[in-house]
Amino acid sequence: MSLSRSLLCAFLSSASFAVPGLAAANTLTVQITADIRSSQPGINRDAGTDSVLLNVVEGLVAAGEDGEIRPMLASGWTVSEDGRTYTFSLREGVKFHNGATMTADDVRWSLEKLLRDPEYSCKAFFDGSRDAKVESITAPDAKTVVITLDRPDAMLLKYMAQAQCGSTAIVHRDSFNPDGTWKAPIATGPFVFGTWKRSEGLVLTKFADYAITGDKPDGYGGRKEVLVDEVKYVVVPDTATAVAGLRSGALDVLPYLPPSEAAKLKDDKDFTVVAAPHGGLVTMLFQTADPLMSNVAMRRAVVAALDTPQIVESVTYGLGVPNNSLVASASRYHTAAQDKGYIHDPSAVPALLQEAGYKGETINILTNRRSAINYDTAVIAQAMLQAAGINAEIEVLEWASQLDRFNSGKYQIMAFNYSNRSDPALAFQTVVGSKAKNANAVWDDPAVGERVNAALQEADPAKRQAIFDDLHARFLDQVPLVMLANGLDVGVSGPRVTGYRTWQGFARFWGVSHSE
Amino acid sequence: MLKFAFSRLLSAIPTLFIVSVAVFGLVRLIPGDPASLMLGDLADADMLAEARSAMGLDRPIPVQFALWLGNVVQGDLGRSVLNGQPVLDLVLQRFATSAQMVLIAVGLAVLIAVPLGMIAAWRQNSGLDLAIVALSTLLLSVPTFWLGLMILLALGLKLGWLPVLGYVSIADNAAAGLVYLIMPVLTLVLHEAGIIVRMARASTLDVLRLDYITHARAKGLSESAVLLRHAARNAFGPTWTLIGLILGNLLGGVAVVETVFTIPGLGRLIVDAIYARDYAVVQGCLLFVAFTYLLVNLLVDLLYPLFDPRVTAE
Repeated sequence: MSLSRSLLCAFLSSASFAVPGLAAANTLTVQITADIRSSQPGINRDAGTDSVLLNVVEGLVAAGEDGEIRPMLASGWTVSEDGRTYTFSLREGVKFHNGATMTADDVRWSLEKLLRDPEYSCKAFFDGSRDAKVESITAPDAKTVVITLDRPDAMLLKYMAQAQCGSTAIVHRDSFNPDGTWKAPIATGPFVFGTWKRSEGLVLTKFADYAITGDKPDGYGGRKEVLVDEVKYVVVPDTATAVAGLRSGALDVLPYLPPSEAAKLKDDKDFTVVAAPHGGLVTMLFQTADPLMSNVAMRRAVVAALDTPQIVESVTYGLGVPNNSLVASASRYHTAAQDKGYIHDPSAVPALLQEAGYKGETINILTNRRSAINYDTAVIAQAMLQAAGINAEIEVLEWASQLDRFNSGKYQIMAFNYSNRSDPALAFQTVVGSKAKNANAVWDDPAVGERVNAALQEADPAKRQAIFDDLHARFLDQVPLVMLANGLDVGVSGPRVTGYRTWQGFARFWGVSHSE
Repeated sequence: MLKFAFSRLLSAIPTLFIVSVAVFGLVRLIPGDPASLMLGDLADADMLAEARSAMGLDRPIPVQFALWLGNVVQGDLGRSVLNGQPVLDLVLQRFATSAQMVLIAVGLAVLIAVPLGMIAAWRQNSGLDLAIVALSTLLLSVPTFWLGLMILLALGLKLGWLPVLGYVSIADNAAAGLVYLIMPVLTLVLHEAGIIVRMARASTLDVLRLDYITHARAKGLSESAVLLRHAARNAFGPTWTLIGLILGNLLGGVAVVETVFTIPGLGRLIVDAIYARDYAVVQGCLLFVAFTYLLVNLLVDLLYPLFDPRVTAE
């Protein structure tokens, strides 16, 4: 190392928020494209915030790799025969980051505090406005917590484990100031929330007293063994800068990389590209209340004109997995019945258009440039539709404007991504509904709505499977939207990193090691 | 001069009021709903209505404006819906970051570009003049994001001389802070120097054609004396006005440079706030930028008589 570079290193290492590339050993440096919204799980959140905080906090239960529920802070649970009472047994020896041992009373206090917070993003799941209402939370002894509902709810544990709900995290009372306002998370996860410099980044440090459980990592459950001293998140909004940072060694992991960028790094032996579909939905929505698109023959014509596997292949640079079912490709409920998809048959299009009474009207496809997948999908779909004789045009909007049009239902066709849905029933619930009540509902069919509600209430896997198979058959028949693939999470790690993997769009840093 | 400054500050009040009306109205004319963006695709109609009510967006716009303006007059610019921080704190913190970069960059650009422009004018139509004009035209034509990325790739990635990302405040650590500023400042210097060179050259050429310069030469003064003692000061006036405009413009945020070099400055704050429809932050930032612009231009006007005695600050 030259003298000038040594001097430079000396300068930089004295910085309070150390230089990423010159950080101390066993520090994993990770890009985040935007700062976290808050440090309070489930409150003022977005997906990036969830991804960071779920390395710090844990709930009673967690989602496993296959989307099913695993115990986390609870060692197990029982459900009463009437489905209203959930009794959780707590693991022993679990410590908070301040050294205090977790008790049932801590759990009761934390849950009550969270579920009663008016800003809790998932309060609708627990206050009776959408599903069952949590009537009481009690701690009959030091190792038991009981949650009582006003009516049965088979989805309770799923909701509790959801990342959007902050995993219904259990935090210590000291996480709050004496006046009840939030201070910082003192939780039970494998990392301790450290320094946070707003708009610059934050540091998570290894929790030495973390109570490890399980044999192997399993989603947000299982074994969480931390192999680095700290994880340093750096806010780098620009992809080109982040890739330069990765190449220079200033960054070790880029958890969210556009597929086009990942494709460039895929064949470079210094980098490991990981890609996996999650429970998000990559779609082209039809406005079934539109005079033209309300005709099912018209929607079938559009679908027959689209080669959906080719679209997915192109827009994800070969990293995506085509899936024409709302049941995620990684879900245990994605069986052969769900593999049945659309048939690309341009020769059938003219007859379908004639049946629909199509007279060459312009069909508008809304899209945006924030998501390259949305934009590319719209461009390719337009070409395919035009080739089949459908007069399609593209309208590119800024993301907020498109979201506004989505929520008001003002569109004909829209390239749109839904965020991660951890259960097939939630994916169906997302798109099914009354347009009169919710303008952003896509599939307005009361009979389908009843089947979705049945799936939400059903706990028996076999019965749920039957419902999902039936819903998929109806989905292919009615074509309320074009399901292209599940959301794709693409990440890349540098040469000094071992064990980084992606799952459901989250960047988990247990089981990840970093060498000099 | 004090009377002039005071009257200019007073005249800024109606300007700022007009700016506030325009900013408040324009922000709301942009399609997109802050509540939708906050809740994303999880929202149903009830949740959206509740969020809009909590943000005060369900009230009539004149009422929203009156409430906001009332708070602004008391020094309260509101809170960010994104992170709950007071807008004034956010703006001042981010402005300090942008300002340290911009002030250094503009200072260096002036030191480099003004002499270059004068030399080009002095040696008009020579090879040196052509080279300076060509280089300045190239620099002001190149987009800053491209220039920044090239500098980052060359100095950061290929040569490894400078950190490619991260930021340290000069207030926290002066040495490290300056190291982090080298590439963004260099980008700004190169771009702004191109503009200043052109103006300095043009205004010097205008002055060199005046009779009193011919008279000075006829007296037998050396070229350096003519240029430095007689031409430079008068020629600097228009350039000084341009520097004021550049400074006011850059202090309002250099979002592209801040994004490329991961500098948490005012420009990035404004862009992020616009994308998130964080009305309070957008309004606060733009009002602050307008105020800064007015202040910088007032300072330029007050200092103008130093360069051109024909102008008085009255």
